[in-house]
Amino acid sequence: MDSIIGLSESLLSILSAARTSHLPAYLDPGSGSFLLQLLVAGILGGLFAVRAFWGRLRGKIARKKDPDQDESDGE
Amino acid sequence: MSDALPSSFRDPSGFLFREDGVLYRQVNPIYREAYDQLMASGLHRALVDAGLLVAHEEVGPGRAGTGGAYKVLRPEPIPFISYPYEWCFSQLKRAALTTLRVQTTALRHGMTLKDASAYNIQFVGSRPVLIDTLSFEPYREGEPWVAYRQFCQHFLAPLALMARTDVRLGQLLRVHLDGIPLDLAARLLPWRTRLNPALALHIHAHAASQRRFADEAPDASTTRRRMGRSSFEGLLDSLRAATRSLQWQPKGTPWAEYQSMTHYSPEAADQKKAQVGAFLDEARPALVWDLGANVGSYSRVASDRGILTIAFDNDPAAVERSYLEAKRRKETLLLPLVMDLTNPTPGIGWDLRERTSILERGPADLVMALALIHHLVISNNVPFDHLARFLARLGRWLIIEFVPKDDPQTQKLLAWRKDIFAEYSEQAFEEAFRRFYTIRRASVLPDTGRKLYLMERNASGS
Repeated sequence: MDSIIGLSESLLSILSAARTSHLPAYLDPGSGSFLLQLLVAGILGGLFAVRAFWGRLRGKIARKKDPDQDESDGE
Repeated sequence: MSDALPSSFRDPSGFLFREDGVLYRQVNPIYREAYDQLMASGLHRALVDAGLLVAHEEVGPGRAGTGGAYKVLRPEPIPFISYPYEWCFSQLKRAALTTLRVQTTALRHGMTLKDASAYNIQFVGSRPVLIDTLSFEPYREGEPWVAYRQFCQHFLAPLALMARTDVRLGQLLRVHLDGIPLDLAARLLPWRTRLNPALALHIHAHAASQRRFADEAPDASTTRRRMGRSSFEGLLDSLRAATRSLQWQPKGTPWAEYQSMTHYSPEAADQKKAQVGAFLDEARPALVWDLGANVGSYSRVASDRGILTIAFDNDPAAVERSYLEAKRRKETLLLPLVMDLTNPTPGIGWDLRERTSILERGPADLVMALALIHHLVISNNVPFDHLARFLARLGRWLIIEFVPKDDPQTQKLLAWRKDIFAEYSEQAFEEAFRRFYTIRRASVLPDTGRKLYLMERNASGS
């Protein structure tokens, strides 16, 4: 029980530190879902940087269109 | 007289209500800052121009559903509301990619989606569109995505299950209204999905993280972490790649192959289409529901005439094919949906009113039931009069095909069972349907012995 209280307190501290808006988050982000993102943030950021680098490189070779332009149409 | 919609109660930012048959969205004062940013940042314009967000018009707070509204909006009407458990694989996948595209666009304008519910996406023809204008909040760098769990439960988990385990598992969305629990998805997915980095992270590790932190406080080094902008974009990038990588080929189910197995010659099929077209021209409906539509060949006789047509079939492969065709042709008036007529979509969710039954989304002006009757009456033992009563509840007009007992398709259904259907005859069919309908036209389809009817519901038949 203590650990649950400790968990909700630490999550609240993350949320309140980050949230300067007074708009309440009505959706429960889920503690495990929230923390997983924090745990793998570094890897995701690294992968994104690598992909962006390759994207730019490819873009220089072949003029590339906006990658978001047709992603929902292109499936 | 205004009525709040029973599906619109969770988010304090606002709610939907209907007044004199027109749908409005109230924006509450608590959402003022976010709404102003949505409009002033250019995000709203960008999304509407790209066809990703439903357009709206501000009508002034004088029309408020309750006191103290900040704004009242009149969104462009969505022709027909459908639910994720009625979508085929590609519809759900495209809805997922649309949600991610909206989120990426929002991020460029300093905002983020505060929810990622599949119910916030609706189809206008073959095109998915976000209907919840109040789904955005200001993006604060450092925060993880609050809707990550919801995206995985509503989109990624069902898509992975449909693609990697069995397409019918999409129906789990009907039981789990807030998406498929990730621990359940992790258990049902084949072990090898753990070797796929994106599924390993977003489903398997995600489920494990939920299990682990359900009752255990994280250590201080975890809670001190922040999620920078590039990590946030990396998360979206990874979700997009995971969604795109999931593929499903519609084949192997009996119905998707039905078109090629049917005994209609191309000439007979053309004659049937011409007859259906003539009946449609006579009834002049604005909304058609085609029941047992298969891949939608006859639904398109209606939609190609400019009639909004909902094409229901219980085979996810047939609906998939029909949807891919609609997408290829950029059709705006045909919406193929998965539904089992012997167990049609009921009202479910909170108070049984959160997601409406198929009957509540009607009535149609005209119902089509082509090459369907023998499946319901013989395979499912539905008596003629029960069927007539049900169809009469769905719409005023009916185009129905009677398939006689000596038809090869009917004989196939009777091949391995005792024939307890002594009453199955054209005469008994007409008698039962006359209790609810007036037969306006009847036409024998050449070379088949089948008969096509145009019927109009009796004044007391609804």
